Amino acid sequence: MKLNTASEVISFTKKLEEDSAKFYKDLSRRYAKDEGIFLSFVKENEKNIVQVERAYYGVITDAIEGCFSFNIDPAEYSFKAELAEKASYSEALDRAIEIEEKIIKLYLDAAEQSKSLMADVPRAFKMVAKKRGNRQLTLKSLLSQEG
Amino acid sequence: MAILEEPIKEVEKLKNYINGEWVESKSDEILDIVNPATQKVISKVPMSTPDEVNAAVGAAKEAFPEWRETTPLARARCMFRLKELLEENFEQLSRVQTQEHGKTIDESRGETRRGIEMVEVSTGIPSLMMGYNLEDIATGIDEYVIYQPLGVFCNIAPFNFPFMVPLWYSPFAMATGNTFVVKPSPRDPISQVKLAELVDEAGVPPGVYNVVHGGAEAASILLEHPDIKGATFVGTTSIGKEVYKKCGETCKRSIIQVSAKNFLLVMPDADIEGSIPALMTSFFGNTGQRCLSGANLVIVGDDDAFYKKFLDAFVDTASKIKVGYGLDESTQMGPMQSIDGKQRVLGYIEKGIEEGAKLLLDGRKPTIIGDYPETCFVNPTVFADVTPEMTIAKEEIFGPVASVLRAKDLDEAIEMANRSNFGNANSIFTSSGKAAREFQYRIETGNVGINIGIVAPMAFFPFSGMKDSFFGVLHGQGRDAIRFFTESKVVIQRWL
Repeated sequence: MKLNTASEVISFTKKLEEDSAKFYKDLSRRYAKDEGIFLSFVKENEKNIVQVERAYYGVITDAIEGCFSFNIDPAEYSFKAELAEKASYSEALDRAIEIEEKIIKLYLDAAEQSKSLMADVPRAFKMVAKKRGNRQLTLKSLLSQEG
Repeated sequence: MAILEEPIKEVEKLKNYINGEWVESKSDEILDIVNPATQKVISKVPMSTPDEVNAAVGAAKEAFPEWRETTPLARARCMFRLKELLEENFEQLSRVQTQEHGKTIDESRGETRRGIEMVEVSTGIPSLMMGYNLEDIATGIDEYVIYQPLGVFCNIAPFNFPFMVPLWYSPFAMATGNTFVVKPSPRDPISQVKLAELVDEAGVPPGVYNVVHGGAEAASILLEHPDIKGATFVGTTSIGKEVYKKCGETCKRSIIQVSAKNFLLVMPDADIEGSIPALMTSFFGNTGQRCLSGANLVIVGDDDAFYKKFLDAFVDTASKIKVGYGLDESTQMGPMQSIDGKQRVLGYIEKGIEEGAKLLLDGRKPTIIGDYPETCFVNPTVFADVTPEMTIAKEEIFGPVASVLRAKDLDEAIEMANRSNFGNANSIFTSSGKAAREFQYRIETGNVGINIGIVAPMAFFPFSGMKDSFFGVLHGQGRDAIRFFTESKVVIQRWL
């Protein structure tokens, strides 16, 4: 079932932020040498939720198309947050990069579709997508160090 | 499918909020408040006795002198505290609206936000309430205007925006130093009780803000009360005319915002893809129960291919609207607020068929997401081949029914809209600046939309209206509200 309402999409982004936060918490426990980086991602996820919700709650009004703006298929962006017990660090980083790709795509698609809402909402989506793009670069750099 | 948690879990009898106290009504007449989606009784509301209504007015009158002397800055601070409390309780307030009214959670949050915006604007009262002056109107003589509060005002609220509508007025009334009595709609009064709890917590002194429950009798007492200086009313034109008359008889100033039949014109150069979501919100948002809703969709031009393409897109999108309980986040349209409302809509659909309109989308047998009784549900309905003489093109249906008309050109479309008795909110969808300007210039309506589905003025602009959609002089919101809630006292002074 596709997500059409603003409320559904905001809840979905929150769920993905929480799921990916769980994933990075797990990484921080498993791979202590980069614990700080992963925990900073967890913290950033919390901020992302606040940023997106603040934009939505701040501008939602009865005058905009809150119920009719989106056409998001959640299956396109869903990911597995659990990592196999024996996963290597490289495999974990590969998974993280893949997760980031999906979440970035969600935010960019949501930004595109929410243009009819007030500018704050697509802007918030784009800003989070950008932050996650930077995160992806960090992950790729860690992966290249792993060789 | 995520169903959000319902905030109201137990059935309680609502109390009046008079002089800063929660007072149980002595009335034997108690009505059930029913969640229109689930049909469960969620609360009970008393039809207050005349003594109780008079007590609310009396408390407001008594509180006025001291509140009036409270500095504008201190009054603004109360409004700031109220704004903060509203933000803290944003989600709960929104869910209450969905539970008692039936609207979707996005719509309820939108209503909460707009209500808060009124409070926000009222916090600027030290600047907004400033008068003006001129030195030397004659030698050594100066003249100036002071805006002064008048006393007790009231609001008789409608059911369709149970949280927001009283806030079109009360923050401005209180911030300017008046006191206020709200009579919520007996169909969905819980939002106003929740609001009063926060007003109390914000430290607004006893008697400055009062809530008294009731129906037509309570409204009459307020309107006839000699201690009430002004009344605000939102409802139907027929009742609004009576309210306006009563206010005239008792020398009250008034803002009467009433029915509508809004025309949305689609020009052949309109962006179809970009316009459809706005039109869905306009015609079917809040289940068509708002005075800003689209009612008549006029497709302009003799290009049959464009007409068909636009109409097909409109009907196809409307047919896919998910109808259900508003606390289900996937719901795009909730139920009608009451069975009576649904019956009225069904009656108009029958009338449309009888008078020869073509029923393209029939919402009478609703498809609902989830297991809810059909009692108050109607699906989106679209009629084509509607002519301006048909009842469904002339009367306010106040439900999710779109009547599609054709006009050969912009002139004919504007004339069609201007023949309506109503003048609340008409829009044009076009990419032509010339057509938009022509429309804005000639259309007889208070609120004009250009590529806008719901022409809802922001809190710092007046909520306008014309013809049978508004009676009065000054409107709610913005500077008009400041003027409405104050008297312009003129001082001419000379020191000898």
